[in-house]
Amino acid sequence: MSGPVNGAPTPDYAIDVERLGVRYNLRLTRQTTVRNSFKNLLKRHEGPTHFWALRDVSFKVVPGESLAIIGPNGAGKSTLLQVLAGIIQPNEGVVDVVGHVSSLLTLGAGFDADLTGRDNIRLAGAFLGIPHRDMEERLPGIVDFADIGEFIDASIKTYSSGMRARLGFAIATAVDPDVLIIDEVLSTGDAVFRAKSKQRIIELTKAAKGIVLVTHDMAWVTEFCNRAMLLDQGHVILEGPPADVVALHQERSEQARIDREAELARRMAAVEGTQPTPAA
Amino acid sequence: MGGPAASAPCYAPARMATTASARTFRAARRPGPLELIESGFREIWTHRRLARYLVRADLKKHGSDTLLGNVWWILDPLLQMAVYVVLVSVIFRSGKPDYPLFVFAAILPWKWFSSAVNDGIVSVTSRERIIKQVKFPKIVLPVAAAVGGIVNFLFGLIPLFALQLLFYSDRISPFLVLIPVIAAVQFVFSLATAIAVSAINVFFRDIANVARHGLRLWFYLSPALYSFDQVQGKAGPIGDFLFSLNPWTPLFESYRAVIYNETMPAWGGLAVLLVASLVFLTIATLFFKRVEPAFAKVL
Repeated sequence: MSGPVNGAPTPDYAIDVERLGVRYNLRLTRQTTVRNSFKNLLKRHEGPTHFWALRDVSFKVVPGESLAIIGPNGAGKSTLLQVLAGIIQPNEGVVDVVGHVSSLLTLGAGFDADLTGRDNIRLAGAFLGIPHRDMEERLPGIVDFADIGEFIDASIKTYSSGMRARLGFAIATAVDPDVLIIDEVLSTGDAVFRAKSKQRIIELTKAAKGIVLVTHDMAWVTEFCNRAMLLDQGHVILEGPPADVVALHQERSEQARIDREAELARRMAAVEGTQPTPAA
Repeated sequence: MGGPAASAPCYAPARMATTASARTFRAARRPGPLELIESGFREIWTHRRLARYLVRADLKKHGSDTLLGNVWWILDPLLQMAVYVVLVSVIFRSGKPDYPLFVFAAILPWKWFSSAVNDGIVSVTSRERIIKQVKFPKIVLPVAAAVGGIVNFLFGLIPLFALQLLFYSDRISPFLVLIPVIAAVQFVFSLATAIAVSAINVFFRDIANVARHGLRLWFYLSPALYSFDQVQGKAGPIGDFLFSLNPWTPLFESYRAVIYNETMPAWGGLAVLLVASLVFLTIATLFFKRVEPAFAKVL
């Protein structure tokens, strides 16, 4: 194994993922109660006990690269980002991330509605593990970028959803990470703020050593990413130049749509065909 | 499988997430129990500021949405005391001399414990969103829940001292300065309980229902409204045995000793409880750290 050991020279990649697999246990999901677990115990051998959200996923991101991950819903995109951010641990394979990771997953996830905007900035900083002194230094910049005026000292529950998003974006991007992980945050707030946030993302992209982002904005993928990866049902379908991958993705989603419609039509026909029978 | 990762684990000691260089997440390697316990305690220490913020956020919330705000922290134990005084002294015509002070000595620590348990239960599940979005040591959440009750406890000391000065000045003794020592033992026990229940609630959401009734029953079965020697020997050997197992027997008896009886706390019982609580805390931390990786998936 040639994993980097602490103290060794900096490796030639920012992210290295080898044969990654993430498994979800279907028996352990939310809303379990003691009663349900007894039920599960009784029908232990029925149905699948787990499913692989990601399987056999390998890729590398070299410094300066920006990788887009695209794919249909449920492809495992968000799970992959969660693994890269260290939120979920892999069940198989190795994930190596060099340097400090910042994840811009859903904005404002940690907001406490009863606290003021300013207190929420501090709380978010503590959740992200940013030292107190750094956070105090960054605070004016964050307040400035969010640009919500007097509201910064009002509790978050008085905010409009746009204001929440702006504050969330300002906090999430107030870091200077080596590796940046972005999940669909490119369309936030009004047009002015969207332009401003786009600018900020581009700046971060330039400063960061590596970027992985999930988006449905194909224009963004072809414009700002060097590479793209198409995921479907937890497997890598294609990895390569953005234009090729986007083309395949669009082709496949078009095909999926046609299949769905055909299936729907077939079922409709079947229903119509069987309908007279009970009447007879 | 992704190859046996038998080489030296590059577990970057995540001192602060910002300074963690090279992070490797490897499958097929479960950290040993000692490592888990050590990292649990280390995380509590390195993220103490997060715990402080969480406690403060909680306090702001409690004070801000009621008319009387923080005054409730003083009124609440007094009102609860009044309920038991009416029940026991007036209706049942039993109880001890100076019964209000007798009960108050039990209500005060119990409110802290029950809030630590109740807040602890939901401490992880209520932070579901951020757990799925940000990597941080989840153990800080129940710790904050357990610590938050201390402020309640401190506010409760105000009516206690007021009662003592105004009505029961003859029961004031120098032993009152030992309250922090008893509280410290209680804290270790509460902390361990909060950590354990917070993790269990992720997998079994029924624990909140169990706790609601369980805590009430526990309070009545502990020498809170009555003293231990009133029941000793009456419940048979099994009853006596259960009383001696109950951590709240030495706690209530000790609080009452310094507040009401003007005597030393039950040192022996407290010492045993402290040791048992430290063991419990270690086990609870180990359990929490063992199941923590599943939180983001299960929630």
